Amino acid sequence: MPREVLRLAVLGVSYPPANVWARRVVRPAALMAEIPPLERGALMSEQGEVRTYYMGDHAVVLHSGETSHYIDNLRAARPSLWVSCDGDAVRLVTADPYEGEAMASDPERIVEALAMPPAVAARIEAFIAAHHVEEVFHKRKRVPVNMEHDPRAKRILSDDEKWVQSRGKAGLPPKGGQ
Amino acid sequence: MIASTAPAAPARPDHEVLRSQQWALLASLLVAAPDRDALDLLAGLTGDETALGQAYAVLARTAAEADAEDVAREFFELFVGVGRGELLPFASFYITGFLNERPLADLRHDLQLMGVERAEGRFEPEDHIASLSEIMAGLAMGEFDASVLGCGAAGEAGFFARHLAPWVGQFFDDLAVAPSARFYRAVAEVGRIFTDIETRAFELEAAAHRGSGGRTV
Repeated sequence: MPREVLRLAVLGVSYPPANVWARRVVRPAALMAEIPPLERGALMSEQGEVRTYYMGDHAVVLHSGETSHYIDNLRAARPSLWVSCDGDAVRLVTADPYEGEAMASDPERIVEALAMPPAVAARIEAFIAAHHVEEVFHKRKRVPVNMEHDPRAKRILSDDEKWVQSRGKAGLPPKGGQ
Repeated sequence: MIASTAPAAPARPDHEVLRSQQWALLASLLVAAPDRDALDLLAGLTGDETALGQAYAVLARTAAEADAEDVAREFFELFVGVGRGELLPFASFYITGFLNERPLADLRHDLQLMGVERAEGRFEPEDHIASLSEIMAGLAMGEFDASVLGCGAAGEAGFFARHLAPWVGQFFDDLAVAPSARFYRAVAEVGRIFTDIETRAFELEAAAHRGSGGRTV
């Protein structure tokens, strides 16, 4: 299965807590196609109480079997990449919207759909052009049994339909030939 | 050998005992291959000029000439086989085309009502021809009671009509023409004629029952 791995830099933003009981949480806020020469967790900017951190770089794996999902993603109003985090650690970045939304069903995780950088969109388009195979959805229907196409087991098994040991230690000729 | 054509009587008359013995003989021949002793006993059978008598005479002759080992191999080819035997002697297969289908479930339900169950160590489903024959033998002897069954299956006649009549004739026809059948061709002849007589006798009994306006059997 052809696949392609892109690496993206993830930026996280942390806002001041809204009340005294809440803690600061870093949420992924933007993606960069170029990876900056920074340590993971480095503070990139501080505007008042709003801090921007570098959350490290992460792989986006494109699979040839999921190109139809990528097409759905690129056709959307805003093509996105889904970033899923456990605490401060980025666990998954995906271009498959269905995988991303499935991650969002877990309330323990932070999942954000972030705008896809144009450079990444171009690479995904190239990947789709190279590997997409159009599959027509075929609705299966129950068909009545047809005895000719789907014959039942025979009431009487004839000699030449029997299993015979034609090779191996016995080395006997098939029974039907005798 | 005398076949049953008379309606059942409260006591166990001779013909019921003989019916039972014939069912038991079929059961014993179809559950496993007969050994030398059994073949010798079969060779001692005699028959009169009736079709059933003739069939028994042929069976006796065949048994006298048969070799026990050949009969065992023939039984293997017919009913065991590699993958499957030449025949699948199950009611469910003959009625629906598949094993372990609804006919088996119906039979199990009826057997549960009758208080009959598979002996320990027997692994064939209950709708095997041998076990059905054995049940018929028990019913003829009065060992089992089928009067508890409902839905038109009550009594021995009902049990036969429900679980054997739809397919047993076809089964013995198939056994008679199966490629490996030699000794079992004679068994098939006996079985075919005997079950034909049984079918007709049960029909006569039902007709007599209807004619008499619901006389108890």
